[in-house]
Amino acid sequence: MDDQFLHDLRRAPSPEFAARLRANLRAQGALSPARGRSLAAQWLAAAAAIAAVSFAFTFPEVRAGAAAFLDLFRVVNFAGVRFDPQRLAGLKASGVGLPSLLGDIEPLTEPTPPVSYASPAEAGQAAGIELKLPAWAPPGWTLAETVVTAEHSARLTANTAKLQTVLDALALDDVRLPDGLDGQAATVHLPAVVVMTYRDGPRALRLIEARSAEVSFPAGFDVPALAQAGLRILGLDRDEAYRMAYAIDWRNTLVVPVPVDAASFRQVNVAGTEGLLIERATGSRQLLWSTNGQMYALAAPLGAAEMLEMAQSLQ
Amino acid sequence: MAVEGEVSERLPWATGTAELDWEAAYAELLPRVYNFFRYRLGNDAVAEDLTSRTFEKAWTQRARYRRDLAALSTWLFSIARNVAVDHLRAQRPHLPLEAAEHVAAAGTPQEHVAHASDLERLAALLKRLPAREQELVALKYGAEATNRAIAALTGLSESNVGTILHRVVLELRSAW
Repeated sequence: MDDQFLHDLRRAPSPEFAARLRANLRAQGALSPARGRSLAAQWLAAAAAIAAVSFAFTFPEVRAGAAAFLDLFRVVNFAGVRFDPQRLAGLKASGVGLPSLLGDIEPLTEPTPPVSYASPAEAGQAAGIELKLPAWAPPGWTLAETVVTAEHSARLTANTAKLQTVLDALALDDVRLPDGLDGQAATVHLPAVVVMTYRDGPRALRLIEARSAEVSFPAGFDVPALAQAGLRILGLDRDEAYRMAYAIDWRNTLVVPVPVDAASFRQVNVAGTEGLLIERATGSRQLLWSTNGQMYALAAPLGAAEMLEMAQSLQ
Repeated sequence: MAVEGEVSERLPWATGTAELDWEAAYAELLPRVYNFFRYRLGNDAVAEDLTSRTFEKAWTQRARYRRDLAALSTWLFSIARNVAVDHLRAQRPHLPLEAAEHVAAAGTPQEHVAHASDLERLAALLKRLPAREQELVALKYGAEATNRAIAALTGLSESNVGTILHRVVLELRSAW
């Protein structure tokens, strides 16, 4: 018997019981008509997807650090993971260089500034994607600007000595790095991204579209083991990190670190696919979803219902 | 291309509404509450009954929930804990004397649990522990609560929660 065994004794409520309780609660006005969503499906088939590290809904220093680490595994779907930003801020303050914790990052393309286009059609053509536009936007909002950021690639070469430094600084002595990790290289390709900015007076929202990011790493690489280390660094306890590391399909799931003290997240249905809705304590929201190999993000100071309506009107 | 950072820096963000999303809460918390009761009481049928009571209480008491004071899960599990306590309290006075005979005749605990399912075996072993330890196991492994969340619910320190759970797991392992 161990922790895992104890966790494995869990069982999902029977469908009959869940339906009965739902019906009772619905009769009391607590729930809307049944939709039959599965929690596992919500979590593992997280629907939304957007390509790059910079899409991660975290504080800037986290985007530059821990998010970069987990980018190794991000390809298509989205899953949220809570983390304590204080933990990583403390790490940074102690002099541990988060951006390079994995090892050496070698840009394979030169960074270029975003290019503005006169119309979404031109931007879509420049980005090489079939751009979708919202048929509905909240009253008062109009498209103000469309820009394209060029695709770029980078090679990431693992350096276990650096990573071990981070683990030591956080006293994570239960984490074991995968054998043969040192010197292994992953190539990250971030496609061109179209960013459409809508404005309503001084307020702005952004609709972002891109093809799926691609990450290649050595065949046979023990991704869950490395992911477990990454999740421990983010602050998950040992059991949570283990469970999540081995439950997620890392080859298709983009993990989004969400600061525990500033935001929450939940799965939502976006036109038949599952998306990740992140809500900050300030009231701002991000909706991330993916369909047909293309990824979408909507970042806006709107209510959840308006976000979903706008997202579902894309055509 | 720091999307969130750029937008939030430039804009006066609207204040979010604080209404509860019961649909999301139900989907996310139903399995956790159900398993909390399974681990706490070792019986699927009782777990279903108490899970229903918990959600129905939460709905009728929704006006008392304050988002600025606790996460929804914390609030719901505080209700679940009370439901469990009420259930256990109600059980005690009604145990027939025959129950004691049954326990006495059941042989050693090891013999009894050898024929039960894993969950029943666990429940049988947990019953030897103080109520607090039983509840911590149910919260940790049934409800999948973090040590921090358990600490917030029980009033124990986070490190104390971890220490107690570690010791309990060792005890369970040796008795298994």
